[in-house]
Amino acid sequence: MHIVVCMKQVPRDNSVKLNADLSINADGIEKIINLFDEYAVEEGIAWNEKHGGKLTVLSMGNADWTEQIRRALAMGATDSLLLSDPAFTNTDTLGAARAVAAAIRKLGDVDLVITGRNSTDDESGAFAPALARHLGWPQITYVGKIQDVDPAAKSITAERNLETVVETVQSPLPAVVSVIKDINSPRYPSLLKIKRVAKIEPPVWSAADLGLSAADLAPAAALSARVPAPARPSGEMITGADAAAKVTALVNKLLENQVI
Amino acid sequence: MLDLTAGYGMFLSDEHEMLRRTVRDFAEREVAPHIRTWDRSGGEHTEGPEDRPHIRPILKRMGELGLLGICIPQKYGGAGMDYLALAVVCEELERVDSFLRVVISVHTGLNSLSLFQWGSEEQKQRYLIPQAKGELLAGYCLTEPNSGTDAVAMQATARRDGDAYILNGEKIWISLADIADTFLVIAKTDPTKGARGISAFIVERTMPGVSSYPLHGKLGMRAGNTGGLVLQDVRVPLANRLGEEGEGFKIAMAALDNGRYTVAAGATGLIQASLEASLKYAEERHSFGGPIADHQLVKRMISHMVRKLDTSRLLVYRAGWMKNQGQRNTRETTLAKWHATVSSFECADDAIQIHGAYGYSDEYPVERYLRNARGGIIYEGTRELQELLQADFALGRRINPPLRCELPAYDPTEWGG
Repeated sequence: MHIVVCMKQVPRDNSVKLNADLSINADGIEKIINLFDEYAVEEGIAWNEKHGGKLTVLSMGNADWTEQIRRALAMGATDSLLLSDPAFTNTDTLGAARAVAAAIRKLGDVDLVITGRNSTDDESGAFAPALARHLGWPQITYVGKIQDVDPAAKSITAERNLETVVETVQSPLPAVVSVIKDINSPRYPSLLKIKRVAKIEPPVWSAADLGLSAADLAPAAALSARVPAPARPSGEMITGADAAAKVTALVNKLLENQVI
Repeated sequence: MLDLTAGYGMFLSDEHEMLRRTVRDFAEREVAPHIRTWDRSGGEHTEGPEDRPHIRPILKRMGELGLLGICIPQKYGGAGMDYLALAVVCEELERVDSFLRVVISVHTGLNSLSLFQWGSEEQKQRYLIPQAKGELLAGYCLTEPNSGTDAVAMQATARRDGDAYILNGEKIWISLADIADTFLVIAKTDPTKGARGISAFIVERTMPGVSSYPLHGKLGMRAGNTGGLVLQDVRVPLANRLGEEGEGFKIAMAALDNGRYTVAAGATGLIQASLEASLKYAEERHSFGGPIADHQLVKRMISHMVRKLDTSRLLVYRAGWMKNQGQRNTRETTLAKWHATVSSFECADDAIQIHGAYGYSDEYPVERYLRNARGGIIYEGTRELQELLQADFALGRRINPPLRCELPAYDPTEWGG
């Protein structure tokens, strides 16, 4: 079977600097695999080891963002694909999903897409649902465990960890799955594989390769302003002659406000 | 923050960078959160075998990751990377704690590389392969209670008896003494012949007459295991003699060319850790109306750390490059070891100074760096021995004649698999 893991590359948190307009300064940022996508990579590798076939790690970004892709290959992905084009620079979640959907359709034989529940930079959490919608495939989100993937029966059974319940969901393949933290423990790159993948250049597909125009990739929503969040008002200090007086004043205040 | 390992493209490639990131992730995730507790656990004087619960599991993890056979060809169970990769592993491990690097020094540098250099094919099959895979852990036994730098004064003996040798003696300051499965033991086969009467043996812990005991209360390296090894009428088969009879001193010294290299690389990692801690703290702590990083005498300590970091790293990588080429590197390795270990102690000391009173407590890691750094100025060749060696090389009083078995040059095709 052919599994695709969508892996976003995000800034290592301590490497981020802000521009004067509070946007992120992209220069000198160290890229890492988005936390939740690392679990997706591990999950993809584990099912690929079980069923064989291909595991393609797919990422979007600058043409030289290859280090983390190689890292996923050294963990055990069998193939890689980088979507890179100046036209992708300002895409929003919807545009990114449109581009990735086009790439998955172009790959042709994909049975299962796994990705993280959200990215740790933009935090929209909408990528997996948007991708499923573009592909017209079922989506299983917030997955804490994949019970089974059956390539012959073309079905997947997975547990969704919701706020108060765990749902077990069965779906036909192909499907899009988004995983949560702690679904597994991601492995380290294998030293044996590091040697093999260190010089691999992933294939790069542009917007034209995907048949996408600038209009397809234009953000649906536009940023109009970016200002610091209002500061939280500070708390009120209770004063009093001694501890007993302070406690009495505090309790009276809590009663007044119907807190107790 | 400044990338302290950037700019070494003349030595390192992308695979070294991936390796560095992998080892750093491992050390930061699996060791750093626990290291203060592990370090404290080694301060107690206790009787009996080493049973501190963190030691075996973390060694097992290092084996699983392939770190223990990093620069051993894949056909011998290793990762098939080069000698510079060995340095990168040591830097990144000691950046978190020295005890991790010590494991690489004794298991990989002193023991496994000696088997790779001097061992028969049968010995490589039997010991090197499981050691490179981390299935067997290995130690190195040269120092004795009454002989250190003057190794030829050792008292351990190996008496030939038919198709075996009978070993007797005591070795001390042995890293992994209570943990390792096999030891490279240096002993006298002919006490009348000085350095030429010394031979090397592969001794298994399970051989009757082998026992060990732990040492506690060391100044540093408290998270690891150091101890003594007692050999009492231990019958070691002839097949377990490494090299020829009388070749043991050369083997022991050649082993140190590799052990010292790992110590030098590790000390470089310790310098980097001291610098990183200092950079962070100097921006956080304020005095006289600004961060202490604004003060010139703090800046001086930082700039000296940077100088020592880069010079140590360059010396280490030069020695590693020479190993890759198959060139004899005793002079370059001992220079790197001398400079990097002495510098690491000075940098840890300055790091404490920058941290002020906080640096004097274990609330911050820098006091541990200082304690750990001190040992490197003693073991695997004292500072004083390295000084004498450098002078003798410069004066032409010391040359290194070719060895019967040189450390194999790195061969990317042959080693890869």
